[in-house]
Amino acid sequence: MVQTKKLHFIVIDDSKLDCFIAEKIIKNTGISESIKSFLQATEALDYIKSIPVDEQTRTIILVDIQMPVMNGFEFVEAFEKLPADLIKNYTIFIISSSINENDLARVHTYATVKQFLNKPLTSNNLSVLLAS
Amino acid sequence: MDTPKKIKVLYIDDEQNNLNGFKATFRFDYVVLIAVNIAQAYEHLRSHADISVILCDQRMPDKTGVQFFEEMREEFDEPVRMLITGYTDIESVIDAVNRGHIFRYIKKPWTDSDIRSAIEEANKFYLTNSLLVAKNKELQSAYDELGKFAYSVTHDVRGPLLSILGALDIAKNMEDPHELREILEMMEDAIRKLDEYIKNTHEYYKLKRGQLEFETIDFNTVLKDMASLFRIAGKMENIRFTSNVVQNEVFLSDEISIKMILNNLLANAFNYQRKDAADKFVSVNIEVANNVAVISVQDNGIGIHDSHINNIFTMFYRATSEETGSGLGLYNVKDALNKLNGAIEVKSAVNQGTTFKVIIPGKANGTD
Repeated sequence: MVQTKKLHFIVIDDSKLDCFIAEKIIKNTGISESIKSFLQATEALDYIKSIPVDEQTRTIILVDIQMPVMNGFEFVEAFEKLPADLIKNYTIFIISSSINENDLARVHTYATVKQFLNKPLTSNNLSVLLAS
Repeated sequence: MDTPKKIKVLYIDDEQNNLNGFKATFRFDYVVLIAVNIAQAYEHLRSHADISVILCDQRMPDKTGVQFFEEMREEFDEPVRMLITGYTDIESVIDAVNRGHIFRYIKKPWTDSDIRSAIEEANKFYLTNSLLVAKNKELQSAYDELGKFAYSVTHDVRGPLLSILGALDIAKNMEDPHELREILEMMEDAIRKLDEYIKNTHEYYKLKRGQLEFETIDFNTVLKDMASLFRIAGKMENIRFTSNVVQNEVFLSDEISIKMILNNLLANAFNYQRKDAADKFVSVNIEVANNVAVISVQDNGIGIHDSHINNIFTMFYRATSEETGSGLGLYNVKDALNKLNGAIEVKSAVNQGTTFKVIIPGKANGTD
């Protein structure tokens, strides 16, 4: 795979193990500039807001659906309220163990969400996703 | 029905003589309420929710009986409606029957046995209907819970399984033994979480379907069994654990419920600690007096934020991503307390700790 520019990653999952898996797999692809993991979606949102607009870089967000306090959908909704020139730097992938039809259908209602991914994340489906 | 309760009947007629006659005839067999106009009828309906049969004369000054029934149905659907009429104009009555406003009509002049058999029939209909409504409600709430369960199973059971699967995949290519150990420990946590969920589900089912079994509860013994386990865990995590029981009287309750309540509250107190705090503690205090047990479980852990405190007893609600909650523990506690006519209060401040206070009335001695 030829990547000219390296990407930044944000992983949001309330399971420590799932964050760990995602970090490992992303690291192994060798295309990551940085990886940040958050167990709480609110913290990820605060982090994104804290970066000045002129320092925002191309970032991939992997977010789980079912999480306490703020779930994945609530995160996406809050994210979409941020300024447009900030949003444009991010691509969101929802990654979940959910097989609930309502959840799957809801994923397509968000403009900023590129795709739904089934857990577990593997190096195979990550590279397919990044190639697209 | 095995407990013959008197049927409550409301009779509406604009002629006082008819009302008096009716009441005189039937007051021994039924609880008879009478109304001389529609306004009075509504008063009765509002203050007696258990009226099962309404008889109304068709010819009334302000409204016909059919009109009254049509209108009162909106607000009071349960009582069975019967029309008394001497009218030759039977068209409107037939229409009313067909549109479901009345159960049946009684022709004037009526005989005692006409009325009696009509009331008995109407009451049977009322009882069947009420039973159906109650059963439907029960069924609906069971369906709702089942829906929640089905949804949670995909997350709470499938989630840890997929995590382990993902971790195994990575572990296969791992060279560094330290890293391998780290990932094994995380897999172990995921499996424990899964097991916890299954245990809680079992508890939920046991409580929901099981009957309460009342026996003498000795809180000292109950706590001793449980505390030894928590004491070991406490030592490992450096949490000070104190307990105090004051019980000088016999207390009757369901031991399984009591143990489940204590176990959940203590487990929460031990789990939701601030990892780096210097003086971590959990204390439990049980006092039994005047046939009421008051249990308080206190900790100085992470606490619960105000915005979550009203939801902590909701099924599958988790107020924090710390630790491995199933979202069923406090729901089960609340459910058990409902069955025992008990209550629970919670006081909490973020980073200062949480106190749960449970109040359980004992089953009265010698009564059933």
